[in-house]
Amino acid sequence: MSGGDITAILQGAIVTVMLSLVGILIGLPIGLGLALLRWARVPIASGVVTVYVSVLRATPLVTLLLLLFFALPNIGLPINPISAAILALVMNTSAFNCEVWRSALVNFPKDQYEAAQSVGMRGGQRFRRIVLPQIVRVSLPGLVNEMSLLIKVTPVLAVVGVVDITRAAVRIGAQTYEPLPPLLVAVALYAPIVFALVSLQRWIERRQIAAEFAA
Amino acid sequence: MIMHSFARSNSPSRRLVFGLLATLFALPMIGNAKAANFDEIKKRGLIVATEDDYRPFEFVKDGKPTGFDNELIEDLRKYAPFEIKQEILPWTGILAGVSTGKYDVAITAAIITKERKQSLDFTSPIADATHYYVKRKDDKSISSIKDLKGKTVGIQAGSALLARLPELNTMLEKEGGKLGKIVEYTSYPEAYQDLALGRVDYVVNTIINLKTLVAEKPVFEVGQAVSGRSFPAWAVAKDNKELLGFLNEFIAKEKASGRFAELQKKWFGESFPDLPVAFEPEF
Repeated sequence: MSGGDITAILQGAIVTVMLSLVGILIGLPIGLGLALLRWARVPIASGVVTVYVSVLRATPLVTLLLLLFFALPNIGLPINPISAAILALVMNTSAFNCEVWRSALVNFPKDQYEAAQSVGMRGGQRFRRIVLPQIVRVSLPGLVNEMSLLIKVTPVLAVVGVVDITRAAVRIGAQTYEPLPPLLVAVALYAPIVFALVSLQRWIERRQIAAEFAA
Repeated sequence: MIMHSFARSNSPSRRLVFGLLATLFALPMIGNAKAANFDEIKKRGLIVATEDDYRPFEFVKDGKPTGFDNELIEDLRKYAPFEIKQEILPWTGILAGVSTGKYDVAITAAIITKERKQSLDFTSPIADATHYYVKRKDDKSISSIKDLKGKTVGIQAGSALLARLPELNTMLEKEGGKLGKIVEYTSYPEAYQDLALGRVDYVVNTIINLKTLVAEKPVFEVGQAVSGRSFPAWAVAKDNKELLGFLNEFIAKEKASGRFAELQKKWFGESFPDLPVAFEPEF
């Protein structure tokens, strides 16, 4: 493997990290929004969400991506590989995030909500001050789990021409006929990325515990 | 799972939603895939799709596309009076992308087959793609076709090569044997790796790919042909006659100037001076 090969894999790492980040940052609030629609039993919308989540959870990411990439142009929506990749990631992860958020919402103690109502908090206040801080804490492990899965499913995006860590490694193997060294480099790169995410989770959790003691 | 929950649900809103979703998913399948006509291409440029791991035809070295087809694309850029836009992606999406009109032409070594001709048109062949087998040099149990009976073969999934394995089976049946276990791979680098590890006994690929492999990896050895004549070419959407004509003119010009033979010699180690201008596949 040459220096140029290492550079190529590192460029792939940037793509992997950027796509994962964008997917996570867009997918997280959408998942929360979907969960709230179901939790609040908003007419029609909650039904739509149920169907959306069921369909998306049952659709393999690679199938969804190919469908978006090849089918959308046929209905007059040209889409480039990166946009298709992000759209597929967000659609997929938001469905799973929705269920993680929803499980926290379903288990949220109703009496706290009623207590907040009785002291005259408005809906927005109740959500921001009472509900959100608590469901974040409960949902965090599940959400981080889904995020780490998302990072590791990014090689699938290569099918439309996105060059992530794994694809960069495969290309080098195809050129040198030595697939193992680039794959080892690739494996070594995923570990620190996921580790950074888990460290972030630990940091948030510690901060929450510290905040509780302070209160 | 989901079908069950739908079946149980009598709520009209859910049914409506399901119907709408189904329509949305089905919409793109209905109606013909629209490939751009030649006038549109002249205006917006020609979108070519190439592969990234198919040495020596197209591969990536130090982040730059190279190989036989990529050098031809460089020539095509000078030849064409319009822009050439290149997309590099794995084999999986290439032919589907051309038949749905996402790309105008697949500039790769797509073997011309009867099945593919139903949805695609092919240019003049760019090389010889007769299928050969490759084995480990130190494997003394294989020296001719008849030794392949019952042995495990590695081959690319969904490939034209896989579709023509019955030809090899017919050859083996004449010798009183038959094809052994078939292991399918998404791409050839993995198949070669498994051949080196002894998980498969031989791998079937086109003569050019195997010659390049053996030149680079002398632990392997090319055996005999396992198929009849076969040719790879570039693929365009069905009935895109003007684009096909344009590309065939380009190929004919490159052949006449000796550039084609020069590139074949450079990348394949030999030139193929007697390639047909058009090829009608039997398989």
